[in-house]
Amino acid sequence: MKEKGLATVKVIAICLSVVAMILAGAAFYSHRTYKEPVVASEYVTQVKKLSDYFPDLKGTVNDCNIYIFEGSEPGGTVLLIGGTHPEEPGANLTAELIVENLRVKKGKVIVAIRANRSASTVTRPGDAYPQFYHIETPWGVKKFRMGDRWSNPLDSWPDPEVYVHYPSRQMLAYMDIRNFNRTWPGRKNGTITEKTNYAFMQLIEKEKVDLFIDLHEAELEYPVISTIVSHQRGVDIAAMTSMILSSTEFNIGMEYSPKELHGLSHREVGDHSRAISLLYEAPEPFLDRVRGITDERLLLTGKDPFVMKAGEFGLLYENIDENGWPIDVRVGRHASTFLTTLEMWSEFHPDLPIVIEGIPRYNDVIANGVGYYFKDPSAAPENRVFYE
Amino acid sequence: MDMYAHATLILVVIAATFTVAKLFKLSIELSMFAAAIAAFVVHTGNLPIRHIVEGAFTYYDVCLIFITATFFMSVLKESGGIVYMVRSIVKTFHKHRALCLFLLTVVLLIPGALTGSGAATVLTVGTLVGTVLTYMGISERKTAAIIFLCAAMSAAAPPINLWAMMAAAGSNMPYVGFMGPLLVLSVVGALFTMFYLGGKGKVVDLDKTLRELPEPPEGMNWFRVGLPFAVLFLLIIAGRVWPFDMPILGLPLMFVISAVVAILMSPKKLKIFAIAEETIHSLIPLVGIMIVVGVLIQSMALSGARGLISLGVVTLPLWVLFGTLWIILPVSEGLLQYAVAPLLGVPLVLLFNMKAMNPIIALSAMAVMWPVGDSLPPTAVVGRATVMELEFKGRYTEFLKACIVPSLFILLVCTLFLIFSNQLSFLVAG
Repeated sequence: MKEKGLATVKVIAICLSVVAMILAGAAFYSHRTYKEPVVASEYVTQVKKLSDYFPDLKGTVNDCNIYIFEGSEPGGTVLLIGGTHPEEPGANLTAELIVENLRVKKGKVIVAIRANRSASTVTRPGDAYPQFYHIETPWGVKKFRMGDRWSNPLDSWPDPEVYVHYPSRQMLAYMDIRNFNRTWPGRKNGTITEKTNYAFMQLIEKEKVDLFIDLHEAELEYPVISTIVSHQRGVDIAAMTSMILSSTEFNIGMEYSPKELHGLSHREVGDHSRAISLLYEAPEPFLDRVRGITDERLLLTGKDPFVMKAGEFGLLYENIDENGWPIDVRVGRHASTFLTTLEMWSEFHPDLPIVIEGIPRYNDVIANGVGYYFKDPSAAPENRVFYE
Repeated sequence: MDMYAHATLILVVIAATFTVAKLFKLSIELSMFAAAIAAFVVHTGNLPIRHIVEGAFTYYDVCLIFITATFFMSVLKESGGIVYMVRSIVKTFHKHRALCLFLLTVVLLIPGALTGSGAATVLTVGTLVGTVLTYMGISERKTAAIIFLCAAMSAAAPPINLWAMMAAAGSNMPYVGFMGPLLVLSVVGALFTMFYLGGKGKVVDLDKTLRELPEPPEGMNWFRVGLPFAVLFLLIIAGRVWPFDMPILGLPLMFVISAVVAILMSPKKLKIFAIAEETIHSLIPLVGIMIVVGVLIQSMALSGARGLISLGVVTLPLWVLFGTLWIILPVSEGLLQYAVAPLLGVPLVLLFNMKAMNPIIALSAMAVMWPVGDSLPPTAVVGRATVMELEFKGRYTEFLKACIVPSLFILLVCTLFLIFSNQLSFLVAG
């Protein structure tokens, strides 16, 4: 190409790149700064910030809201977190459903909807995730941020060549230093992800949390699915919860937390605090590597012919048919599992009961849709509207 | 249109656009970019700018490592350090060919083993070792093949194997127990390559060689050459020995710090900006391909084409997988680079686990097969870096031909590891 022609091509390329940067930059900015309104239940006692337990987080992206509900009678304390992996929407939607509808009669319930906010402000390069998803409600459409498994590199970069877990020194993949469920129990002087884990450990200690629950979703190719993973101190509750749910509502298994696998909440929270730690997994076909078109429809309906085909070849650990795994089913599973776990907790610990109401069970969520339980922020009193 | 037909259509559009773009004599990078754009347009009926830009950042960190590692090596070259090292190695080992080849293999394995990048090996020690091999009577073609394959094995070598780490992370396996199988496979592969291609050669004519090699600048010595490498090595090791006290620097900054040390140690004044400019100029094809591959993968993920390929692989019968993975894995690496680890590695490792195979041995075997494909088009990142760095004058296919026998040997050993994964479980440790 002649010198002049080449120069023209270069100028055009630069101009197009700048336009692309501006347009994409605007999209990234609107995603990162979008605030999800939450109408806390009228029975919420107080809403703190995570930095109230670890001031280093004040003003950072991970200074999330901590919703506290206290009953009129004393009892045990449970901490439930959603948003560990924001690419698993069933988790944060369940946590939000609980925050908007909960009433505690005995004991105390603490909820974080977006435990790792940073990871909810980015989608994964190369995976073509949608930036937002939308849930129908009786008062309109509610919009949520889709996120990633790992914290936003804008908040934690660069990664080391290999991630050495604290305190076990187990080596993990480099990017897992930004994986909120590989950095428990956290580190006071660590990365923002590790600091966030540390802050939650402080919360667990200061609020005297007895029971800790971490909500997740998993691909159907992954063996740990449709199950409760339990620290060894929680197996009685997890096993009973699994048995009751499997005989009354839906099949759910129970697994022991592997002692040699470090950084996960079901292992480290139980090992490093007084709390019993449980982790729930619900099926999310959107996460399967063999999935077809990557879009919001797949995220919310869980319907995918490629994943179904993988099932026909016996490659999945959970069944899937043409009905898929809709978000209502996934949220309903988490809601019922939470309710049954608390019932079992109260049976096993009658001196520390946790009794709640207002939370729909599996069949209710499926019948009404998860959006039915979200309140209209424009019609709610200002002092009950919070932003995630 | 059902999803199978749609995803197939996207794959056809990608292939057709790439072919047409090549017919119009566009470069590989631009042809792939055109293919990705066509896939986006056909799938969405639009031009999703956010997806294009997001995909372009898929390998951002890897690009930074390439750039900074090359800058580090260029500084060493310009300071005369490389020439000094080459002369010293030739002087010391010219009479002991086997020992010399063994030591050179070790030198080649270290950078990639520590960084997980074959390109890092090529860019840091490739030229140096390549020059020595040439003076040992090994043809340029075979020398390029040795450097590439040893670089590939260095990327596969523990402690850092990015393919194994990514696939392990995707399958929620800890990156533990891989040391043994990865070490055996990568060392066997590298030594076979070195001795098969470089075992025979002429005795080094020391006087002639030293006469032909350029003279290093006055004042150059082992301390000046060694200190930048020592700093790099120490920074990497420090992150492992004191992981909770050392700030996270990241490989790019480590290479930059080492380059600054090399500049300070240089006995002659260096034109830093000229070196930096030349570094970027030489890496444009390499970095360009990484950026474009990211965009292409994003388009394939969005449209279901990626899922169709992944599904096609994992639904093959086990015996067919054993018989074809030695082709599928290197070819997919040539197509998609590190992205194959989550794309194919995760479903495959979950499949092998389900079939009661040892997943660590199986993943290790796959993680050594993948980098062999780094010489294959369209990306051919490490292969292209090798011929560029060594200034290989022949055709690229000649270089590829020289790689065939050792590549097949490595792939055969890895396939045997796959088949006998349970019997080889004793290798799993630390």
